[in-house]
Amino acid sequence: MSPRHISAALLDDDEDFPMVGVAAPDLNFGVDHPPETLLQQLVRHWLNERHAPDILPVQAEVLGALLDHIRRQTDTVQALRGDPDTSEAEHARIMLVQTEVERVKFVVRSYIRTRLYKALQIEKFARYIVATSEVQEKLSQAELDHARRFAQLTENHFQASVLQSLPPHQQGLEDNTPFTPPMISGPDKSRAVFVHARDECPPVRLPDGTTMQMQKGQIVLTPYAVVEQLLAMGSVELI
Amino acid sequence: MALPVSLRNSVTPPELELIASEELVEIIPLISMERTAFISGAYGPLRPPNKAKIPLWMAINLKMKKKCHIVPPNWLSVDFLQDRLALETSRQEFSQFPFRFTEIAKLLLDVAPDDIQNSERIRSLLKDIREVRQAKSREGLQKIDHSELSLPNLCSMEINEIRPFFVRAMGVLTQLTRDPVADSQFDV
Repeated sequence: MSPRHISAALLDDDEDFPMVGVAAPDLNFGVDHPPETLLQQLVRHWLNERHAPDILPVQAEVLGALLDHIRRQTDTVQALRGDPDTSEAEHARIMLVQTEVERVKFVVRSYIRTRLYKALQIEKFARYIVATSEVQEKLSQAELDHARRFAQLTENHFQASVLQSLPPHQQGLEDNTPFTPPMISGPDKSRAVFVHARDECPPVRLPDGTTMQMQKGQIVLTPYAVVEQLLAMGSVELI
Repeated sequence: MALPVSLRNSVTPPELELIASEELVEIIPLISMERTAFISGAYGPLRPPNKAKIPLWMAINLKMKKKCHIVPPNWLSVDFLQDRLALETSRQEFSQFPFRFTEIAKLLLDVAPDDIQNSERIRSLLKDIREVRQAKSREGLQKIDHSELSLPNLCSMEINEIRPFFVRAMGVLTQLTRDPVADSQFDV
């Protein structure tokens, strides 16, 4: 690719840069949601993941598309920087593109780290993930491998340090004694979350038996279990 | 490599600022730049002295290099904030503000006080508004129960501020009202 050609890649008239809904939210009072860009989608899923007590389905497509975009931008920048003909004005532009790449990388990293933390936390006592196939579907292969290895390590450690010295019937991790909390604990879905309705929502049942129908734009504090389905449908976001 | 402990229960104000910096703001550029493709969209061209709309982070970046003036949003003015403060003190409910106004106002006042008229007065108005709204949040705590609390017009930073206490309060109430029927229903 010639340097001129590379420089053109940063220009918007290139067909290789499909922009999903270029319109970004305004600083005005607009409550309407314009079509989301990939980055806005990732930010929404990142915040959902940060606030939800349970681990959410992995957003592999959004993540993959953004990582590709990061790679393309980085390649273009690299090529332009290596070119001695690059002008002063061009340098300012390159710097802005690089700044954005770093910002996006931060969100990607934080998103992945949040999921990793949850995979391990849920895993810690429980091997909940290995035990529940429904949870397994939400994880990417890498996350699942990581969780499994971690579960194996913890179990070996428990065995070696304590369990092997106990009487045989107390060596298991899964015993369910009545009136005591289970040793395999799942996420606390009754934890309250702040919910923002992105659309009109179908009615949901509240713990006190009444129903709640969220209007678009409404903000509510409610237990996670109440809005779990709505979150999966994308009608609400956690804030 | 998992998430650090300090970030596990809530997002932090700097993270909220990062998110708010994606929103668009108007600038008067002092340099020209071709239309450029960014990950979040295409922005430009910048042609001084024509105004242009770009993301806040980009505006801050250019402003720090003295390459643009930022046009503050219409709500970041003494007149508007004075009206809102009057409204806020006279009524019981929260008045409407842009969802991320605290973050945006802070960033703009930090980076571009010279582009904002009466920035000192705006600072103190924002502080007054914050105090009135904070008092209302605390009163709202009386209405909390174990199932639902509606919080119309609360803003991102305010929610983050009340989050730890409100979430705990609701958790305690949930434990107090927990019964076997609800347990099986909500699969706790």
